Amino acid sequence: MVHLSRRQLLAAAGAAAVAGMAGCSDDDPESVDLNEKRAGAMDGYKAGDQFKATEPLKFSIMLLSNQAYPYKPEWPFWAELTKRTNVTLDPVAVPGSDYDQKRSVMVSAGNAPLLIPKTYHPAEEAYIAGGAVLAVSDYTDLMPNYSDKVKRWNLQANLDTYAQEDGKYYLLPGVHEGVWQDYTLAVRTDILSKLGVPMPKTWDDVTTMLREMKKAYPSQYPLSDRWSTPPQPGGNALISIVGQGYGVNSGWSWNPAYWDATAGRFAFTGATDQYRQMLQYLAALVSEKLVDPESFTQTDDNARQKFASGKSFVMCCNAQTLVKEARKDIAKLPGATVAKIPLPMGPMGASLPPDNRLENGLMISRKALQNKNFVAMMQFVDWLWYSDAGQMFARWGVEGETFTGKVEDASFKLDPKVKWSGLNPDAAKDLQVDYGYSNGVFAYGGSTAMLNSQFSKEEKAFQAEMNKRTIRPVPPGRPLTVEEREQATLQEAALRDHVDQQTLKFILGQRPLSEWDAYVAELKGKGLDQYVGTLNKAYERFKGKK
Amino acid sequence: MVSLIDAPATRPQGPRPTRGYRVFQVVNALVLTAVVVLTLFPFVNILARSFSGEQEIRSGQVNLIPRGFNLTTYRIVMSDAMFWTNYRNTVVYTIAATAVALALTTCYAYVLSKRQLKGRGLLVAIAVFTMFFNGGLIPNYVLVSSLGLRNTIWAIVLPNAINVFNLLVMKAFFESLPTELEEAAAVDGMGTYGTLWRIVLPLSKAVLATMLLFYAVAFWNSWFPGFLYMDRQELFPVTVYLRNLIAGATGGTDQTASSDAALQIAANIQAVTIVLTMLPILLVYPFIQRFFVSGVMLGAVKG
Repeated sequence: MVHLSRRQLLAAAGAAAVAGMAGCSDDDPESVDLNEKRAGAMDGYKAGDQFKATEPLKFSIMLLSNQAYPYKPEWPFWAELTKRTNVTLDPVAVPGSDYDQKRSVMVSAGNAPLLIPKTYHPAEEAYIAGGAVLAVSDYTDLMPNYSDKVKRWNLQANLDTYAQEDGKYYLLPGVHEGVWQDYTLAVRTDILSKLGVPMPKTWDDVTTMLREMKKAYPSQYPLSDRWSTPPQPGGNALISIVGQGYGVNSGWSWNPAYWDATAGRFAFTGATDQYRQMLQYLAALVSEKLVDPESFTQTDDNARQKFASGKSFVMCCNAQTLVKEARKDIAKLPGATVAKIPLPMGPMGASLPPDNRLENGLMISRKALQNKNFVAMMQFVDWLWYSDAGQMFARWGVEGETFTGKVEDASFKLDPKVKWSGLNPDAAKDLQVDYGYSNGVFAYGGSTAMLNSQFSKEEKAFQAEMNKRTIRPVPPGRPLTVEEREQATLQEAALRDHVDQQTLKFILGQRPLSEWDAYVAELKGKGLDQYVGTLNKAYERFKGKK
Repeated sequence: MVSLIDAPATRPQGPRPTRGYRVFQVVNALVLTAVVVLTLFPFVNILARSFSGEQEIRSGQVNLIPRGFNLTTYRIVMSDAMFWTNYRNTVVYTIAATAVALALTTCYAYVLSKRQLKGRGLLVAIAVFTMFFNGGLIPNYVLVSSLGLRNTIWAIVLPNAINVFNLLVMKAFFESLPTELEEAAAVDGMGTYGTLWRIVLPLSKAVLATMLLFYAVAFWNSWFPGFLYMDRQELFPVTVYLRNLIAGATGGTDQTASSDAALQIAANIQAVTIVLTMLPILLVYPFIQRFFVSGVMLGAVKG
C-alpha cells in the first residue's frame, strides 16, 4: 500500500482542481475552423432540400418522455428518421415530470447530450455564463430553412428579445408564422342557450354572462378555474388571458418588463395602470361571487370536478383540454355541451400580444463544436425542426402511411386508422403513443397551414376568428450584461414575490384597490426603480448598437 | 414501530384500576381509533379509486366504495411492459441496496460501539458531519459520473448505503449490550468476527429488523437517485414511472404555448399504479413485526 503524506495529498488535490478548471476553459468560437467539422455534411445544402448525411451519423439528444406517450425505442419515427437523414438519434430519456431538474444537472455537470430540446426562454440564460451552451446565432448560416423562415415571417424583432448583451442568442426557438392563441374560456353552451345569453365577445360580456348564470343558479359560482400551480399567483391561465385584454403579461405569461411605447421606456408590469385595471376587473368578479375564490388555490382536479358535476359552468381551457378533459368530464350530465369562446377582448381591442410567435426550443451543447460532424448536425437540426418537410414528418409522419394530402391546400387528412387528439377518436392506433409522431420534443411551430392541419373543425373556426386580430408590435430588445442580470434577477424575484402575493389579495378582496398607491410604494421599497432603471439602460445601450 | 415498546400481554396485577385510569383507557382508545381511521382513509380511498371509472372519480363520487366498478384499468396498467420492467428494477434495487446498507451500517456501528477504539470520536464526527453538510447536487452527480456508476445499480446502492441516523441508532443499541457477553466469548477463544456473527447479531434481531424496514421502505420509495443517475427508462425504478404519471401532468415543465403538455393521465390509472406500487412494501410490515417482539424479549432476558 502506498502511503501519501499530507503534503502530497494537498498537491494532488490542487492538481485535480486545476485540471478541472482547465476542462471549463472557453473555446473561442472564432478559432474553430468549420471546414474541419464538415464530416457527413451536405455540400450546397439549401432551404427546401432533403437533408441526408453523406455517412451514417449519431447524435445524442435529451428526450422528454411525456407521461401521456412515454418514449419507446421501437417508434417508427426513429427508423424513418434514420432512413431519411442517415442520422440516428441517441436519446437520454428523461421523465417529463422533472425534466428541468435533470437538464440543469446534466448541463452544469458537463454531461449533457449534444441536443437539448424543450427549453423555454429564458431558462437557457442560466447556462450561458458557464459556457455550456452554444451561441446558436453565430451559426444560423448553416441553417438555410431556419434563416429563410425568420426572414419570410419577419421574426428578427422577436429573436432580438432573446439576445444577450453580446448580441447573440443561445436558444433556437420554435417559430410560428402567425400568433397561435390557444387558451381561452370554455363555456357550457347548453346553459347559454337555456338562459338566452349570447356568446360573449368582450370581458364585459363575460361579466354579463356570469351574472345571468348566477341569477339562474344563485348558490353556485359560475366560474371556477384551474391551473393554479405555483410559483405564479394562482388562476394563472385566467389572469394571463384577462391580462392580454388589458395589454399586460400577467399570470403564467408574466413578463416583468412592460414596454410603454408612447413614453419609449420600459416600466414594471406589476406597477402599471393596465395591471391595476386587470386586477380591478377580476376583483369585481370575485366580490360579486361570480368567480369561485378557490380558483386561485385549488388543484386542477378539484376545478375539473366542479365542472364535471355541474357546479361551475366556465373554466379556462385549451384545444386539447377542451376535447380530452372538459368534454369527457361532462359526458354524464344530460344535455351538457361545452365549447371554446373566442378570446374575450378588453381595452386593447381585437389584437393579440406578439410574444407567442416563438415557442420552446433547442439548446446545443458547446462541446458539439469540437465534433467533426458539427456542420452536418446543424444541417440536420435545420431540416428536422425548421424545414417544411421535416416539420411535416415530425408532426404527421409518412405520407400514405399515417396521412394523405397536403397542409398547404388543406387537403391534408389523417389516416382513419390513426387517432390524434380530437381527430379519429375511435381509431385503434395513436399517432403519439404508437408511432412517436407529434412528439412535443420534435413537433412544434410552423406555418399557419401546418398549424391548422392539426385542428378539428371547431378549432379551425376558433383559429379563423383569432387570425382576424392584429398582432401588437414586439417590444425592443434590452439584453442585460451578466452582472446586470444577476442583480436584476434578484430584484425581480423580490418584486415578483410581492406582486404575486398582493395580486391574490387584491383579487380576493383582502386588500382594497384603493391601496394601489401604497402597493406601488412597497414595490419601490423593493427596488422597483433600480430594476426599471437597469432595463432602460440596457435598452438605450442596445438601441445604440443596432 | 409501536410493537417495539409493547409489553407482553399480561394483565396489570395489584389494585383495581382507578376510575381515572378507565376514563383514560376509553379516551385513549377513541383517539387511537381516530388516528387509525385518518391513516387508513387515503389508502382505502386510493383502493376504491383504482376500481372505479374515470368519470366517477372526476365528478368526486368516489370516497370509500368504488363506483362504476371495473377491472379494465388494472388490465391496462398491468399490460404495460415498461411498468413491469421498472417494477422489477425496484425489487432488485431495494433488495440489493438494503443488503449492502445493512451490512455496511452494522459494521460501522459495531466498530463505533467499542469504547476502546482509538479515533472513535473522529469516526463518529465524520459520519455526523455528512448529516448536516453535503457537497450538493451537482458535485454528487459529477462524482457518481466520474466513478462510472451512472446507469448501474451501484449509483442507487452506494451513495445511500449508510444513513447516519440509522447508524447512530444501531450504535446505541450495540452499546447497550452487556460487554460481559463479549468478554465471555473472547475467553472461550472467539475472535472479533466470530463474536459479531455468533453473539452480537443474534441478540440484535430487533434492531436489525428495524433497520431492514427503514432501509427497505426508504429504497422502495426513493425516486430521485434513480431519476438522476439513470439515463434509460428501462433502468428506472417504478417510483419514477409513478411520479411521471402523477406529477408530470401538473409539473411546471410545460405550461405555456404547446398544449400537448396539459394532458392529464386518467385518475383511475394513477390510482391503480399507486396501489400496485405500495402493495409489496405494505405486506412486508406484518412479517417483520414478529422480529421486533422476539428481539426485545431476547435482549430483556439476557440483559
